[in-house]
Amino acid sequence: MKIGAYMLWAATAVGTGLIVLLGYFVQLDAAAPIGLLGTIFGLRLLIMRWAVLLAAVGLVLGLVNLFTVHWRKISDQERGWGYSALLILTFFITLILGLVFGPDSRVVLLLFNAIQLPVEASLGALLAITLTLAGFRTLQRRRDLIGLAFIFTALLVLIGSGPGIVPNASPGFELFSGLRNWLAQVAAAGGARGVLLGVALGSILTGLRVLLAIDRPYGD
Amino acid sequence: MGSIDLLGLFVLAVFIVLLLVFLAIGDRRRALFRPIQGYEALDRAIERAVEAGERVHLSLGTGSLIGTDSAPALAGLAILGHIARMTTLSDKPMVVSTGDGAMALLAQDSLRSVYRAAGALDRFGPNRARMLGPTPFSYVASLPILLANEDVSAHILAGSFGAEGALAADFGERNGTFVLAGTDDAQSQALLYATASYPLIGEEIFAAGAYLQKDPAHRASLRVQDAVRFILIGGILLGGLLRLLGISL
Repeated sequence: MKIGAYMLWAATAVGTGLIVLLGYFVQLDAAAPIGLLGTIFGLRLLIMRWAVLLAAVGLVLGLVNLFTVHWRKISDQERGWGYSALLILTFFITLILGLVFGPDSRVVLLLFNAIQLPVEASLGALLAITLTLAGFRTLQRRRDLIGLAFIFTALLVLIGSGPGIVPNASPGFELFSGLRNWLAQVAAAGGARGVLLGVALGSILTGLRVLLAIDRPYGD
Repeated sequence: MGSIDLLGLFVLAVFIVLLLVFLAIGDRRRALFRPIQGYEALDRAIERAVEAGERVHLSLGTGSLIGTDSAPALAGLAILGHIARMTTLSDKPMVVSTGDGAMALLAQDSLRSVYRAAGALDRFGPNRARMLGPTPFSYVASLPILLANEDVSAHILAGSFGAEGALAADFGERNGTFVLAGTDDAQSQALLYATASYPLIGEEIFAAGAYLQKDPAHRASLRVQDAVRFILIGGILLGGLLRLLGISL
């Protein structure tokens, strides 16, 4: 029974994965899909639509999970349960307002523009400070060649990009902006392409392991 | 009328054949792994957490399971399996967080498998893997509370992150926890290099299974990556040489 279930999950994952993958290699010129290629292409579209639906169900289940985690925290009076209470309260207020007035209504948009947007923007602003401090910490933590190269390059790019750091009329301006352009367009772009090639190879093989049922993230 | 991208299929076939070949070869040919500081330090950090009665937190990122950014989170599941096996019987089992509902379900399933294999299914709770927030910044805004309230002493980020990854790593550093962080995006990797004590650069995040679980399939994957990388380097060098000689293909 146990082996049967495992085989079923693996066969389903491999079958749907293969159809979707093959669908990406099929190019259709005509609008109406006919024949084997058209069937593969059509099946890929169908499975992808199912996947989008399932992802939406996943989001709902994720929200249920979020609710139960915080509800338990309130029930057990765990540390920080006040935050959980606030989360559940605002969760239900937003949900009810969204259901009653609709997601595009003025009330819901007001909540979004007056609360969520400023909070997320302030976190974005915090990122700038965090990175500046992290730069200083990197100097302390990594006193090797790569760490020094990282900091030195970041400083050169900052000097070359920042307005007013090197005056426009000064002889250093052309030197630093040229250096910055070379770093960004040649050195950084070349390095990033190397990194991206490695990431692409890793991604392909991670996908292939799932596709061949070597990795079974859906459980045994 | 329709057509098939034969070149794409050929490349895919090359990957599959190489993977099967290296799987068949297995450990008959000794593989040399360069040391990756983060993976070397991870086991010590987990052991410390277990002994001190503290928790290990794994973040699978803010990417969606059905999006193009799911690969690093799938690689992160290898880290999940490894940590879960080491902390199953701990007083404070690991906690997994993600910004995607479907990914949270997948993480719960992976955790359940490890607990079942360890014969400790009664210790498993679905809330051990949770979605913190559906948007990148709402996810990251919830992290400081989780890190503080769950007594986290090892904070591992293995998934898809944008700029919010830097904040996620920094929250861990501020708490004085062990921070190991890796993602697939080149720009985010630069941010993680500056913020995390143990950053994973390039494709190092995809090597987790080979380094931590010492799994033959994952080791074969690494060998395929290296083989294809050498083919690509050869192609790039040849292309450059031909261009230098004035020959264009």
